[in-house]
Amino acid sequence: MALQKTVTFIIERQDSPTGKPYTQEFELPWRPALNVVAALMEIQKNPVTKDGKRVAPVVWECNCLEKVCGACMMVINGKAQQACCALVDKLKQPIHLAPARTFPVIRDLLIDRTVMFENLKRIQGWINVDGTWEVRIPPRQNPNTAATAYEISHCMTCGCCLEACPNVGPQSDFIGPSPIAQAYMYNINPLGEYDKANRLNALMAKGGITSCGNSGNCVKACPKGIKLTTYLAQINRDVNIQALKNIFDH
Amino acid sequence: MFNITFYLRRLHSLVGLFMGAFLMVHIGNNSAVLLGPDMMNMVIGTMDKMPMFIRLPIELGLIAAPFGFHALYGVYIALQARNNPIRYGYLQNWQFTLQRWTAWYLLVFLIWHVYYLAIHTRITGIHLCFEFLQSYLSNPVYWVLYVLGMWAAIFHFTNGINTFCMTWGIAKGPRIQMVINMACMGLCGALCLETLALMLVYILPIF
Amino acid sequence: MAKKRFKVIVVGGGLSGLMAALKICEAGSEVDIFSYCPFKRSHSLCAQGGMNACMDTKGEHDSIYEHFDDTVYGGDFLADQVAVKGMCEGAPALVRMFDRMGVPFTRSAEGVLDLRNFGGQKNKRTVFAGSTTGQQLLYALDEQVRKWETKGQVKTHVFWEFLKIIKNKEGVCCGIVAQNMNSMEIEAFRADAVILATGGPGMIFGRCTASTICNGSAVSAVYQQGARIANPEFVQIHPTAIPGSDKNRLMSEACRGEGGRIWVYKDGKPWYFLEEMYPAYGNLVPRDIASRAIYDVCVNQHLGVNGENKVYLDLSHIPADYLEKKLGGILEMYSEFMGEDPRKVPMEIYPSVHYSMGGIWVDRKHNTNIPGLLASGECDHQYHGANRLGANSLLSAAYSGTISGPEALKWAETGDRGSAISDGELEEARMECVHEYERILKMDGEENARQLYHELGELMNRYVTIERVNADLDYCYEEVKKILARWDNIGVTDRGKWANQECMFVRQLRNMILYALVVIKAARLRDESRGAHFKREFPTRDDEHFLKETIANYDPKTEDPIITYGDFDHSIIKPRPRNYAVAK
Repeated sequence: MALQKTVTFIIERQDSPTGKPYTQEFELPWRPALNVVAALMEIQKNPVTKDGKRVAPVVWECNCLEKVCGACMMVINGKAQQACCALVDKLKQPIHLAPARTFPVIRDLLIDRTVMFENLKRIQGWINVDGTWEVRIPPRQNPNTAATAYEISHCMTCGCCLEACPNVGPQSDFIGPSPIAQAYMYNINPLGEYDKANRLNALMAKGGITSCGNSGNCVKACPKGIKLTTYLAQINRDVNIQALKNIFDH
Repeated sequence: MFNITFYLRRLHSLVGLFMGAFLMVHIGNNSAVLLGPDMMNMVIGTMDKMPMFIRLPIELGLIAAPFGFHALYGVYIALQARNNPIRYGYLQNWQFTLQRWTAWYLLVFLIWHVYYLAIHTRITGIHLCFEFLQSYLSNPVYWVLYVLGMWAAIFHFTNGINTFCMTWGIAKGPRIQMVINMACMGLCGALCLETLALMLVYILPIF
Repeated sequence: MAKKRFKVIVVGGGLSGLMAALKICEAGSEVDIFSYCPFKRSHSLCAQGGMNACMDTKGEHDSIYEHFDDTVYGGDFLADQVAVKGMCEGAPALVRMFDRMGVPFTRSAEGVLDLRNFGGQKNKRTVFAGSTTGQQLLYALDEQVRKWETKGQVKTHVFWEFLKIIKNKEGVCCGIVAQNMNSMEIEAFRADAVILATGGPGMIFGRCTASTICNGSAVSAVYQQGARIANPEFVQIHPTAIPGSDKNRLMSEACRGEGGRIWVYKDGKPWYFLEEMYPAYGNLVPRDIASRAIYDVCVNQHLGVNGENKVYLDLSHIPADYLEKKLGGILEMYSEFMGEDPRKVPMEIYPSVHYSMGGIWVDRKHNTNIPGLLASGECDHQYHGANRLGANSLLSAAYSGTISGPEALKWAETGDRGSAISDGELEEARMECVHEYERILKMDGEENARQLYHELGELMNRYVTIERVNADLDYCYEEVKKILARWDNIGVTDRGKWANQECMFVRQLRNMILYALVVIKAARLRDESRGAHFKREFPTRDDEHFLKETIANYDPKTEDPIITYGDFDHSIIKPRPRNYAVAK
């Protein structure tokens, strides 16, 4: 009889925001197409460590399991990624899971990404419409521009790029790659363009685009394949022009 | 609206390029040694002919001050990063990390280098020449530290050109960024080989 | 003179909740939004294919009436027609609003909004943003709400779980109790009106296309506090999902809208059974019809792929660059999870629980039967009748928010709100929830909550989905009641003070079980076949007895639902037989 194939996880845990991190090892039966979230669900059903100790189930965040909500980002074998589409068969065992410590940890793999949503306020991440009421026929848009906006609009605020970026973290006030790309998306919108100068000026402030050190990790980490470095370079170009305007227009 | 951070950071980038230009001149002068000790002594001699009232302001204003700014602001920048090339071992991330590691090394190396060869020699009246350098670099530790110092400066500069193109929004797409990166690293390699060659002159019985 | 500012609580940060919140902010009042997760992670973002609106930009002479008629006909005449008409009329303006907000809709070469085909409709009527329309619409509203947040009119309570509503002496809803899912603190909040926009109950079926947060717990909680649930038995089964052990991942109807074909091998040759059975609509029959046909082909005719319960959804005949432009994201998802490229080989799919047409009973203005409590979005029962047309859910979610928001304010201003609740009453409501939570924290019985949940899902998936049999439903009901009894004997392993997901799940589980009972009982008592509800014993629609909304009331003594039937408005379009084999 063939031995039951198993999968081993080494999970970095922490009981509270101020708790001390520790690791636990779990072993569970392999099955085809098993992903990390499904494995965590199995552990949740029967939270017993490899050495037979019954422990509290591992805490993590997930919603859609389809790689669109961005909730289940964690560090898997050293790299930030979505747990729901991290297939066990493609990972080296034992599989190490850790919270993304760029962000404050709440418990186990659960992190607090409030800062990402606050960043969207910093860049005025919206189109400043008059209201939800009917105004008139909306402006037409170049389908190619719309396609670029569509690409950037896939950003699910998961935080992979921030976790991978060496310049984002408690040691720095860098806003990170994703909100900068978002700012570009609003800037190319026919209505969003009206606030372009405000967004660029916000990005020229402390912790803005100037804190980018061109490590290029963001574009490799992005689970949505958004061309982050390209948009960062574009915003760099735009802020230079904006800086000239700031000097010579007044 | 004036964002001081923005201007400081851009200034840092420009000054870096300027320092790089100085580095190129410096390497060019040093390369004279490849043509023999006499050539080297002649180049040093030409420099020495410059009167102090011209030379000192140039050294302080065009070299020391920009360097001081680049170094101090650079320390601040380097402290903003938590290098992670082990976890994210991509080429560009290694370059990012090396840019910071070379910066730390250069900070110490240049203080030593400038103090000893520019300040100490002047105070004590030592005459700078090939023979003096040869005896100085005969200490293998010094020699290795000097080679590393030169390589660090070359990498820091050439990689700096590379990131300059991104930071200023010159190279936007992934292809052009890759092309520029490769060109810069090619330049880096060439300069490193050249400096290695000129450093070998001091320890090998060539001339 | 400035208008008096009211405070409305919106529970749920999906499309409907955010839309309602925007309307309230624009009217000058304040909103507290409570959500399980940052709004950008709400389940609305899983909607892929598009949103229906009669834009008529394809030279097809599409009309709002056609949209209205398709929706009513698709819903097998169980939807309130006045409400549906309002929704269809409001749709084009909503699309234009989203467009102004920056939604990156897919555009034609000329730069106007592109339209695509969708099930149950002959005209191109579906605006879309690639294959992630829900994500894009949700983000647009999220951004607008964030703008209002910076102006101080919106207060967000992210990672808070709604526990129950607070009623005053007159039974009027005037606040909620909620729990912080990280710090576990329980607090009571006052409000002039409360809007529930908490989405569907997909998770009671175990595996489904819904997000893990779609547990129906909030709906069940207010049902236990006296809110009625309507049409709960109408649960949409989406024909094309990728079966998975952790969840069934949706494969958008847009695949068929863009030309995808469904087939199985029969006698060694591909059999395009939908095209053969329904020549008029072909692969674009409504979801209930397609799901039943796939079920029939697999379960009754044993023709599934490799003998398993799967059929092919084939896009391989369509040029790859066209697919990339129109469906990009979801095809990647298929490759990623299944390891095969759908541009080259047919996808293997099977129907899965997807959407609840039923929900909290609401009137046309989205008021529930509890004064001061409104419901909108998937958690209400409006607009879709017995079956929802694809791409009508984003529409109904957004549209219902435009109704419930202003209506909540109208109630706050002119409603008969009775006496104000005292601080003491507020604290009493809070303490009730605190005690309940502490009881759960101490549970040390034999049962494993996850195991109970697994059993619940298995039962629901087996007996209460595509084909329903009365004897099975009776059995299922008894089994679920047993699970309810076993719930009392759960043991929890996690006694942690931070983010105790296990204890929260135990509490949600009870709500889910009670909701499941409502679905089963309502399905058992509706002896006909209509839309998504199909019984072989009663294969036809019975307008004489069942052209009525199912109404479920909670009986606190037995915990059983009490099922009655209510009338609704079907006066505009006379009910006619539904047959997709011929053009209507």
